Amino acid sequence: MGMGGPPAGSPFSAPNGGSGLPFGGIPTEMQERVERLLAHEPHHEEPAVTFAAVDPDQRPFTLLNFLRPHKKPIAVALGLVVVETLASQAGPFLTQLGIDNGIRAKSLSTLWTVTLIYVGTVVLATIVGTVRLRFTGRFSEALMESLRIRVFSHLQRLSIDYFTEEKSGRILTRMTSDIEALNVLFQEGLLSLAVQGLSLLVVTVMLLRINVGLAFLVIGIILPTMLALTWWFRTASERGNAVVRDRIADVMADLSESLAGIRIVTAFNRRRHNIVNHQNVLGDYRAASLHVARIGAAYAPGAEFVGIIGQAVVLAVGGRMVIRGQLTLGQFTALVLYLGNFFAPIQQLVQLYTTYQQGQAAVAKLRDLLAISPSVPESPDAVELPPISGAITIDDVTFGYQPDRPVLHNLTLNIAPGEVVAFVGATGAGKSTIAKLVTRFYDVTSGSITVDGFDVRDVTFESLRRQLGVVPQEPFLFAGSIRDNLSFGRRNVSEADLNDAVDAVGLRDLVNRLPDGLDAPCHERGSSLSAGERQLLALARAFLSRPRVLILDEATSNLDLASESLIEKALDVVLAGRTAIVIAHRLATAMRADRIAVIDVGRLVELGTHTELVRLGGKYAAMYATYMQHTQLAPGINELSPQGQFEND
Amino acid sequence: MLLVPAVANPPFGAVAPTQTAVNEPAPEHPFEPVNVRLNSHEPRANIDPDRSKKWIRRVMPILLAHKLLFFSSIFAAVIALGSQVAIPRIMGAAIDHALTKKTVGLSVYVTAILIVGTTRAVLTFAYRQGMYRMAWEIETDLRSLMYRHMSKLSFDFYDRVQSGQLISRANSDIRSMQLFLSFAPFLSLSIISFFGALVYMLSIHVGLTFVAIATVPLVYWSGVKLRNLSFPVSWIVQSRMAEITTVVDENITGMRVVRSFAAEKSQIKVLAAAARKLRWATVLQNNARAKYGPFMENLPRLGLAAVLLYGGRLAIDGTVTIGQIVAFNAYVVMLQAPFRMLGFMLMLGQRAAASAERIYEVLDEVPTIAERLGAIDLISPRGAVTYSDVSFGYNSTDPASAILRHFSLHIEPGEFVAIVGRTGSGKSTIARLMPRFYDVNTGSISIDGHDVRQLTLPSLRAAVNVVLDEAFLFSATIHDNIAYGRPGANRSDVIAAATAAQAHDFVTDLPDGYDTIIGERGYTLSGGQRQRLAIARTLLINPAIVVFDDSTSAIDVTVEERIHEAITKLSANRTTIVIAHRLSTIAMARRVILLEDGRVAADGTHSELMESSSVYREILMASSAD
Repeated sequence: MGMGGPPAGSPFSAPNGGSGLPFGGIPTEMQERVERLLAHEPHHEEPAVTFAAVDPDQRPFTLLNFLRPHKKPIAVALGLVVVETLASQAGPFLTQLGIDNGIRAKSLSTLWTVTLIYVGTVVLATIVGTVRLRFTGRFSEALMESLRIRVFSHLQRLSIDYFTEEKSGRILTRMTSDIEALNVLFQEGLLSLAVQGLSLLVVTVMLLRINVGLAFLVIGIILPTMLALTWWFRTASERGNAVVRDRIADVMADLSESLAGIRIVTAFNRRRHNIVNHQNVLGDYRAASLHVARIGAAYAPGAEFVGIIGQAVVLAVGGRMVIRGQLTLGQFTALVLYLGNFFAPIQQLVQLYTTYQQGQAAVAKLRDLLAISPSVPESPDAVELPPISGAITIDDVTFGYQPDRPVLHNLTLNIAPGEVVAFVGATGAGKSTIAKLVTRFYDVTSGSITVDGFDVRDVTFESLRRQLGVVPQEPFLFAGSIRDNLSFGRRNVSEADLNDAVDAVGLRDLVNRLPDGLDAPCHERGSSLSAGERQLLALARAFLSRPRVLILDEATSNLDLASESLIEKALDVVLAGRTAIVIAHRLATAMRADRIAVIDVGRLVELGTHTELVRLGGKYAAMYATYMQHTQLAPGINELSPQGQFEND
Repeated sequence: MLLVPAVANPPFGAVAPTQTAVNEPAPEHPFEPVNVRLNSHEPRANIDPDRSKKWIRRVMPILLAHKLLFFSSIFAAVIALGSQVAIPRIMGAAIDHALTKKTVGLSVYVTAILIVGTTRAVLTFAYRQGMYRMAWEIETDLRSLMYRHMSKLSFDFYDRVQSGQLISRANSDIRSMQLFLSFAPFLSLSIISFFGALVYMLSIHVGLTFVAIATVPLVYWSGVKLRNLSFPVSWIVQSRMAEITTVVDENITGMRVVRSFAAEKSQIKVLAAAARKLRWATVLQNNARAKYGPFMENLPRLGLAAVLLYGGRLAIDGTVTIGQIVAFNAYVVMLQAPFRMLGFMLMLGQRAAASAERIYEVLDEVPTIAERLGAIDLISPRGAVTYSDVSFGYNSTDPASAILRHFSLHIEPGEFVAIVGRTGSGKSTIARLMPRFYDVNTGSISIDGHDVRQLTLPSLRAAVNVVLDEAFLFSATIHDNIAYGRPGANRSDVIAAATAAQAHDFVTDLPDGYDTIIGERGYTLSGGQRQRLAIARTLLINPAIVVFDDSTSAIDVTVEERIHEAITKLSANRTTIVIAHRLSTIAMARRVILLEDGRVAADGTHSELMESSSVYREILMASSAD
C-alpha cells in the first residue's frame, strides 16, 4: 500500500534498515565503538581463487581427513595446552608445600621460594594461555575460511538440478550454521576437551598422590553424582530449550503476521481478539521458559551441594587422618583445594559431548554435500570454444528431467548465424527446456546440440556460456549498485561500455533520475526498481557481455504492456546482428522473429515465418486469430489481460 | 443497552459476533470477537507514562507489580549469600580447633557444614528461581504491552514505520532489557557476600585483607576492557556473517544467472573476500579474548600466592592461623566473581538503556485515530454516506500535498457507485477515510447522518468494510481466514460467503477444502483466488457499506460479474462502492464518479460520462492498456 511515504524526520530511521535477514543491524549505541575498531582494519588483499571443475580433494570429508594436513599446528597447540594446564594446576600443591615445609616448619625462606615458584607458574600459565588462544584462534579461523571457500566452490560446481531439488534454506544452512557448528567444535570443543581432560587427569593424579584411599572415596562420591546431575541438566534443559524456541517462534510469527496484516486487523475489528490470542501464545512461551528456568535454578546449587558433600567427607575422613597423623595439614589443605578444581572440568566435559554431537552432525551434512558430483559435468577433455559465429544445430534431441518422462521428442532445428527464432506454444510444451539445453544447464538424453559445429558437451562451460547471453523470466539482481549488476561476471568493464549498454536498452532516463546514477543501489533483489526496469537491467547485463547468441527465456511475460513495449524497443537494438532464441509467451514478441517454431507437447509442429504460418492455417494461425480478436475487441477500451493470449487465468 | 447491530437482511446466520469459548468474560463490545484461554498472559502493569523519567524509573511499575516475588527472592538471596561466606569460615575453624588445637570434636564442624550447605542449596534454588521468574514475567509483560499498544496504533504509524524494525524492537530490545533487569539484582546481591567476607577478613587481619583483595581492581579493570572490546567486535562478526549469508543466499537464488554468465569464479572471489573480512573480525574477537581472558583467569591465583606468602609469614609469627589462611584462600576466589561481572553488567546497562528508549518510543506513540469520549454505537446502519467539504493529505502539516480538496459527495443507501480517476487522484483515500483509517483534516464524513468521529470505532468498522487492493491473508485455514471478522462463524456461514465471492468451487477442489492452511508454510493461492477469499471475508461480516478498492484486479471479468450479482442478491440494500480501472467493473455500477485533483469532476452514468467527459474517455483508454 504505497500511500504517502514516511514523512521526513521519522523517529524510526535507524541505520542498517532491515535486510530481510535475521541480523538486524548494529545497534546505534554500539556504532561509534564499532567504527573505531573498523578504522584499524587493514586492506585485505584480493583473494586468489582457483576454480576447478572437479574438487581437488576427493577424500570423504571427515574430521580426521580435514585435520590430517595440519598435524604440526595441532601438535603445537596440544603442547601449549599441556604446559598451560600443568602450570595452572600447580597452585594447591605449592600451597601444600608452603604450609608443611614453610609455615609449619617455620621456614620463611622456603615460604619465599614456594611463593616465587607459585608466581612463576601463574605468569607462565597467563602467557602460555594467551599464546595458545591466539595461535589456535588464528589457525582455526584460517581453516574455517578455507572450508567456506571450499564448500561454496562446490556449490558453484553443482548443476542446476541440485538447486531446483534442494530447498534453498537448507543449502544456506550448510554454509552458515553447519560451518559454524564445526567452528565451535573446533575452537571450543576439541581444545577444551584437551584442556579439561588434562585438568581432570592432573587433579586426579594429585589427589591420588596425597592419599589413595581418600582420593578414591572422594572421587567415587563426586564423579558419578556430578556426571549424573550434569547429564540430567544438559538433556532436560536442551529438551526444554527446544520447546522454548518453538514457543518464541510462535510468538514472533504471531507478532509479525499481526503487524503485516495490521490493516486487516483494524478493518475487521480483530484488535481485542488478537490481543487475547497473543497473550495466549505469550502464556505458552512463558510457561516453557519457566520450566527451563527451574532446571537452571536447580543445577547450580545442586552442583555446589555435591561440592559441599565432598568437603564434608574430606573434613570427616581426612580430618580424622590429620588428627591421627596420617595426613599433614598441608596435604589436607591441598586436598580441599584440588577438590574445588575437580568440578569445572566435569561440567565442561559433559557440555562438550553436546558440542561434539552437533559438530559431527555438521560434518556429516557437509560430507554429503561435498560428495555430490555435478549431474552435468564438464568433460575432462573439454576444449575452449573458439569465438563463434552463432550457428546452432539441434539434432534429433530427446530430453526429460526424469529420463522416463521426456518433455522434448526428436527435436531437430538449425539456426543460422544472426537468425532470430521464436519458440511459441502452451505452458509446459517444453519451450524453456530448449533454452536450458543450449546453455547446457541439462544434458540431452539423446541427440545432440552443437554450436558452430562444436557439441556443447565437448567444450568448457566458461567458453560456452561467455558467448551466450541469457535473459531469464525473473530478472534476478544482486545486492550492489546498478553498475555492479551491469558488469556482473565481467572484469574491467569500461565506462563507455556501461553507457552504451544503458543507452541501447533505454535505461538512460532511469539512470538520470536516480541521484547516484549508475552507483545507485539495487535494494533487496531489486525491489526498488519496477519489474520493467529490472528486466531492462537484465537485458543490459546480457548485452554488455556482447554474446554471439542471445537467449530470451520468457523475458517479457511478467511485464505490463507499457514495460513490454519498452523491452520490445530495446530488443530491436540488442538483437541486431545476433543469433537469438526467443522463448515467447506472447505473440507480439514472437511475431518479430525471423522464424517461428511452434512447440506442442514436446514436438516441433510448425516452423516458418509469421506470414507462412498464418497462411498454413494450423496451430499458429489459430493462436494468431485469438490474439487478433482480443486486440481488436472494443478498440481503445478492450480487456487485453496482461496474461496474454495463451492462457486464461 | 441497545447494542445489536441489526442489518435489514441478515444473510449469514446470526449477525452479532458469536462466541465459542465457554468460560470467557463478556466482551466490552459486541462488535469485537474475543476468545480467551486459561494460561493467557495478561500484563500486570503499564510503564510510567512520564517521559521525563529515567528509563529504569519508567519500568518500575512493572517491576513493582511483582513485588512479592521480588522481595521474597531478595530475602532468600541474602541468607543464601550469607551462608556462602560461612562455609570457608567453618572449614577454617575446623582446621584450627579440631585439627590443630584439637579442642573441639570434628563432627561439630562436619554437621555445621552439612546444615549450612543444605540451607544454602535450598535457598539458592529458591532465589534463583524467583529471579528467573521475575525476568520472564517482565519479558512477557513487555511483549504483551508492546503488542497491545501496537495494535492500537493507526495506519499513519504503519505507513512510516517498517514492521521489521518493530519486530526487532519486540525481539532483541525486550531481550536486552530483560537480561539487564534480571541480571542486575543478582549481581548487586553478590556484593553482600563481598562485604560479608570483607568484614570477616578485616576482623582477622587488616594487612592480610588488603593483600588478598589487591587484585580485585585489576580484575574489574580487565573485565571492563574485555567487554569494551569484545562487544563491538561481536557485532562486527555478526554483521560479517550476515554478509556471507547474503552472498550465499543470492548465489543460490540467482544460480542460473551465475551459471549463464560463467561467473562462478568471480562469485567465489566475492565470497572469499567476505570470508576474509569475517576472518579478520573473528581473529580480532579471539585476540581480545586471548589478551584479557587468561589474565583475568590467573589474577586470583596471584592473590592466592600473596596470601600464602604474607599469611604464611604471619602464621609463623602466630598472628593468624592456618585455618584462617585456608579461609582467606576461599574468599580470594569468591571475591573476584562480582568484579569480573561488573564490567559486563555496566555494558548490559548501557544496552538496556538504549533498548528501553527504543521500546518506549513505540509505547509513547499516541494513536492518531481514537474513539471520542461519549462516542455512540452505530446501530442498524442504512448505508447513507456523506462527504462534506473534505480536505485531506497524508502529511497534514503540508497543505500543498493535500490529496482531497473540498471534496463533497453524497451516496444514498443501497447505491452501487464506481469511483474512477487517474493514479494519485485520491480514489483509495476516499475509501480509507470512511472507516476512519485516517481522519479528515477539515470537513466531515457522516454515515446515516452521524459524523464518523462521533461513532465507536468497532461499530463504525462493522458497518463499513473496505476490501483492500492487496488481498492479505493470514497463515491459517481458509475457514479461519474467511471468518476473520467473525471467528465464531460456523461452516455454513463461511460456505455461503465463499459461494457469493465465487470462491467455493476452487476451495472444495483443494485437498483439505476449507481446512487447507494457506500462507508461507501452506498452500499458495493465485492472486485472483486470494482476492476472492478477501471478498468472502468481507461478505461474512455483512457490512452495510462495502468498498472494493481495486480488489478484483486479478479476477476474471465474468467471475467478477457473478460476484457482484451474488452480492446484490444477498442484500439489495447494501451500499457498494467500487474503485476500479477496468471498464467491465465500472460498467456494472449505476453511477460513476470521476475524480480529478481531489474533487468530483463528473457524476453520472457510464454512458453519460462517455459522452460528456473527455477526461473520462482518456482515463478509460489509458487504463485499458495498463
